[in-house]
Parts: sequence; C-alpha cells; structure tokens
Amino acid sequence: MKRMLSLFLGVLMVLSMALAGCSSSGNDTEDNGEGNGEVLTIGSWRTEDKAAYDKIIEAFNEEHPDIKVEFKPSKNTEYDTILNTALQSGEGPDIIQLRPYAPGMELAKAGYLEPLDDLDGIDVFTEETRSAATSEDGKVYGVPLSLNSAQMFYNKKMFKDHGLEEPETWDEFIELNEKLKEEGVTPIALGTKEGWLLSLAHSIFGPAHYGANEFVDQITSGDKTFKDAEFVSSLQAMDELKQYFPKNYEGLGMEDIRTLFFTGEAAMFPLGSWEIEVLREMNPDLEIGFFPMPSAEGKDPTMTTWVDGSYGINANSKNKEDAKKFLEFMTTEKFAKLFSDELARIPAVPGVTTDDELVTAIAEATNEYSTSYMMLVHFNKGNPTTKATLETELQGMYLGKQTPEEVAEKLQGNAETYFEPFQ
Amino acid sequence: MELETKTHTPVKQKNKRNWRKMAIHLFPIPALVIYVTFIIYPLFAAFSYSLFDWQGIRRGAFIGIENFIALFTREPFNSMFWNAFENNIVYFLLEMVVQNGIAFMLAYIIYKKIRFAEFFKAAYFLPRLLSVIIVGFLWKLILNPNFGALNVLLEKVGLGSWAKAWLGDPDTALIAIILVNSWFGLGFAVLIFLAGLQGIPHDLIEAARLDGANGFKLIWKIILPLMIPSITIMTVLTFIHAFEAFELIYAMQGSMGEPYYSTDTLAVYFYRLAFGSGGANSAAIGLGSALAVVLFMIIATISALFLFVLRRREVQL
Repeated sequence: MKRMLSLFLGVLMVLSMALAGCSSSGNDTEDNGEGNGEVLTIGSWRTEDKAAYDKIIEAFNEEHPDIKVEFKPSKNTEYDTILNTALQSGEGPDIIQLRPYAPGMELAKAGYLEPLDDLDGIDVFTEETRSAATSEDGKVYGVPLSLNSAQMFYNKKMFKDHGLEEPETWDEFIELNEKLKEEGVTPIALGTKEGWLLSLAHSIFGPAHYGANEFVDQITSGDKTFKDAEFVSSLQAMDELKQYFPKNYEGLGMEDIRTLFFTGEAAMFPLGSWEIEVLREMNPDLEIGFFPMPSAEGKDPTMTTWVDGSYGINANSKNKEDAKKFLEFMTTEKFAKLFSDELARIPAVPGVTTDDELVTAIAEATNEYSTSYMMLVHFNKGNPTTKATLETELQGMYLGKQTPEEVAEKLQGNAETYFEPFQ
Repeated sequence: MELETKTHTPVKQKNKRNWRKMAIHLFPIPALVIYVTFIIYPLFAAFSYSLFDWQGIRRGAFIGIENFIALFTREPFNSMFWNAFENNIVYFLLEMVVQNGIAFMLAYIIYKKIRFAEFFKAAYFLPRLLSVIIVGFLWKLILNPNFGALNVLLEKVGLGSWAKAWLGDPDTALIAIILVNSWFGLGFAVLIFLAGLQGIPHDLIEAARLDGANGFKLIWKIILPLMIPSITIMTVLTFIHAFEAFELIYAMQGSMGEPYYSTDTLAVYFYRLAFGSGGANSAAIGLGSALAVVLFMIIATISALFLFVLRRREVQL
C-alpha cells in the first residue's frame, strides 16, 4: 500500500514538474521581448530583414558605441499576438514596430506607447506620412519606416512589340487595353478569387474616377458618402475593366496572376511595390516598367501610396532615452539610404535616392502623384472592416450577383456602424 | 468461490488487496489531467469568454448573453451564420452520399474477394496519409482554371466548353471542395465498412442464400441491418467532420470562405471571427467564443440524436 501511494505521489510530482517546466519555458519566450539592463530591443514582424538590421545597428553604433541594440523579430502572422500578450503584462520590446494606421494606433489608445512629438527629426516626414502613426488625440507615436505604393506595372518588351506607350489619359489606357485584346494578349493580369487583390486594385483604379485626394478629404469629413456618384463611378470602372482580365479570372489568385505577368502572357499587373523583388526572382529577364494611373476626370495621374509600418517606443521601457536616440537615427538620410539599398524598399524619409533605378523612379513618382490607399488608411475598421466588405462585395459584383450601386450601398451601411462623420 | 477465499484472508492482506484495486483507478489520472487541461478547461473557458465584452484581446465587462444575441440578430453576423450553417449541411449530406455511398460499394466489392483486394484497400487509403494542406495544394493545382490538369483534360477530349473556374465560381466551389474531401476520406470509410462486413457471420449469409435471397435483396435485408453499427459510426463521424470542416477550405479558399462566402462554414467563420483574418476584421473573441459554444451544442445534440436513433435500429445477433 505504501508502495502504491509513493508511486502515485511520484507520478504527481513528475507531472507537476513537467507542467511547471512548461509554464516557465513559456515565460522565457515572453521575456525575450523585454529589455534587460543596457540592451535595447527592437520588436518587428520582419524576420527576413535580420541581416539588413544588423548592418543598420552597426551604422548606429558608429555614433553611439555605448548603446547595445538587438533586433528581435517574430513571425509576421504571430507578431500581433506575441506583442499584445507581452504589453499586457507590462513587458515587450523597447522599440515596437507598429502596424500602419488604425490597427497600430490601437496600442497608443491603450496607453502602451510613448508620444514622440518632440523627437528630433520627426519633422522630416510629410504630414501624410506621419498620419500613419498619429493617434486620434493628434499626437505622433511612431517614426514611419517605409512606403508602399500600388501602381500599374507593365512588361516593357511587350509594350514595345505591340507599339504601345504609357497612357496619359484614361481613354488612352482603355484604347491600349483594346489593342492588346485584339492582338490576342491578356491586357491586365488580375484575378478575383482572393479578395485583398480587389481592394488593392481599387486603390489603383479608383482614384482615377472618384477624383483622388479631394474626394478623400470630402468623404472623411462626411461631406460625401460611398453612395455619391464619384465613388459609384469608381466601382463601375472596376466592373467595366473585367473584359480585359484573363479568362476564368474569377478562379485566379495571387500566384496565378503573377505567373501570367512574368511569363509574358499578360501585359500589365496592378500591384504593390513589394512585388518587384519577387518578379525579378521569378524571371530575371523581365523588363518591368510602371505608370501612374491616368485620371478619367482630367486631373493629375495618381500613385497610390501608404506607410508600411513605423517604430514607436514602449511606454513601459526602462531605456526610453536610448530608444529615442535610435528613433532619431531612423529619421536620418543615412539610415534611409542604408535601409532602401539593403531592402530595395521605398524609405519614408523623403528625397533619398537608391542604387535601384526602378525603386528610385517609383519613389519619385510617389512624391509627385501620391494619393492614399483610402480603404486601408481611413476605413480599415469595423467588423468586418469596410475594406474587407469592399473585397467580398466586389467579388459578388464580378460574379454577377450585384451591381456597383449595391456594392456602394453595402459599404455605406458598414461604415455607418462606426464612422462618426456618417452618423 | 470468491466469498470463500475472502473469509480466509487475514485482514491486513485484505486491505492490501483492496488498495491494489483502488490503485488501478489512479492510473488514468495522467491522461485525465491532460484531458481536463486541454479539453474540459478550454470548453468552459470558451463558454465564460462568450459572456464578456472584449476589446481586442483585453477582457471587458460581463455582458451576459449579449454576444449570442448579436450573433443571431445583428448583420452581417446573422446572415453569415445561416449561410455557413447551410454550407455545413450541404457538406454533410453530400459526404454521406458520395463518400460513404462509394465507400460502401467499394467495401462490398473488396469483401467479395476480388483479386488484389489488399492492394485496393491500401490504394484507397493512401490519400488519407497525406497532410490536408498537401491535399488542398494538389487539388488547387488540378482545379486551376487556366493551368490545371482537369480543364486541360476536358479541352483535350473535346469538352472545352465544360471547363470553368471550379474554385472561383460560387456554384461549384463548395461542391468541388466536398468532392476533394470525399476522395480524401474514402479510404477510412472503406475500412470501417469492410470491418463491418467481415464481422457478419458467414453462416447467416449462407442461410439467406439458401432461402433464396440474392444480390440486392441480400444486401438490403441481411447485410445492411447487420452493418448498422458501422453505419452509425460513419454517420456520426461524417457529421462531426462536416460540422468541423475547416482545414481543406482554409488551404484551398482562405479564411474568407471565398468566393463571396460560398465556401464559408461555421468553423471557418469561427476562425475569422475569433482570430481576425489578415486585417479583414479585428479579433472578436467574445463573438467567436459564442459561436464556438453554439457549434459545440449543435454537434453534441445532433450526434447524440444520431446515436440514439441508429442504436435502436441495430440488430442483435
């Protein structure tokens, strides 16, 4: 009997030790995010950028040799959960990479971020860029890092073969599509199977019809709604463009349309600047060109531009002064040049040229013709978000289930649940 | 006998024996601890989560059954729920007919001792060994509208007009996924039915034959009634599987149940609601938990009902 009892107790002990082991190892991973002593930690979702950050930290140490910095990224899809858990228990990295616009500013609203209005160098960014890290209280909580742009890419060789030039007006753009179609080439590589491609495509084609920034100002102040003619016409344009999409476009996703473009089966590809790297990898011989979308309303052409992430400071950090020094470094041209050379991305610091011709050209065009990704910047809220609503409802439109007017109505209905100027 | 030995056993020894008997009951404890921590506790946790208001992953005030009310009365949650529920039912019915129907026929053919029966058994089971993600990826390639094997094949045999975007058309997307799932699950159903068939005593079938039962009559009157236990198991498993359908849809159509919610199921909807999906909505843990509770109740009640009804039809030998 004693033997049995001791056996049982033994099992219990082993079990409780195993459980304790689990929980303490769980704590260890959380501790990873916390600054201990002098080491300044940076949390990020860009695990693939580690090598580049090592170089950036090296450059920072040339000026501040006594501050040790460590870049500690976690997987993109898990970053938000890991960060939120750490912040709730008063921990987390000293410097936090923030998701752009509303989702990142949720952290500021919850009081986890340090305001950065008096940070040296924060003024180098345009107000539009800073808005990605400005909370509802009007304070800036992050240093913007890089810009994304969405534009029409085209295959330079195919354009030459068919005697085509970059369009200057919307009509020229349509003519060019017609010509390609007549000559048996798919004009636009776009599929409607994955919703996010649709809101992105709308961010490229839409401004040409609703009148870009002017309309964005009007709708965000509540003077216009999604049901107004300007916006509905942008949805109608999306509907009309479907005749230039590949066959069976309703079943094509990201991989499919990218393949159509880099294999030279389709001439144009409406997507984001991050695709440049992938396209070059898939087909190094591909000559990629791009053009800002010409306006249908006789206005300036547009390059859809938005901020992709910024860096803020953890309000619970013990190294706030050191962290501020690092963020100040992130506003310098030295950092921006290093960042864009290493990662072939457009830095948020304006006026920096890179070694990459295409990236530099895109950066210049975004400076000149920038319009915001309205759905992401202003309407990425609600449950489901207005952006997601646009995606599924456009899908419905392409499947012939509803008209552009009905899509507009559903967007308005969704936005009215949370968007104060509409209430 | 036992009584006799007991009276002769000294008290001390008897106590020891009782302890041994008791101790046996302690052995399930490790398994029980794991079961309670990972199954029972989350079940109750989900239930308690569903009664609170959540801001992101922060728990707010106790709001009673308001999450449940929102789930069934507020747009778009309401229509999304019924849309997903309908898809689940289609999923179940079609799997019963296609997967289990074909599996029964195949099992019967193998049971009749055709040549290479062992080979066929293994061949039908093979897809089951693949990970669902791989199955989804493979069939996504096969069903690809412009490069996929299926449409190329249709064009080659002159049926080019039948070729379409199988996964992009809301009329075919759900059916395509259910058929892929049936292909995947076929082998398992064949094994269960085969075991059921092999469990039927031979003399019973011989006796039926002597009485003049043949072919269809033999299957309908003798074999099917005796196979009710395997049919019960497969029905309940198929039901649970259909109402938990997630992986294949997620692998092939993403978490939005694309296109246009035509492949949305309750589990996919739950995932989208509770964890947020790539920025499509912020995580709504309260609503998600409420949906999980509803899903659990649907599965538990209907599974119990199936068991109750089908058990009563079992034939005792």
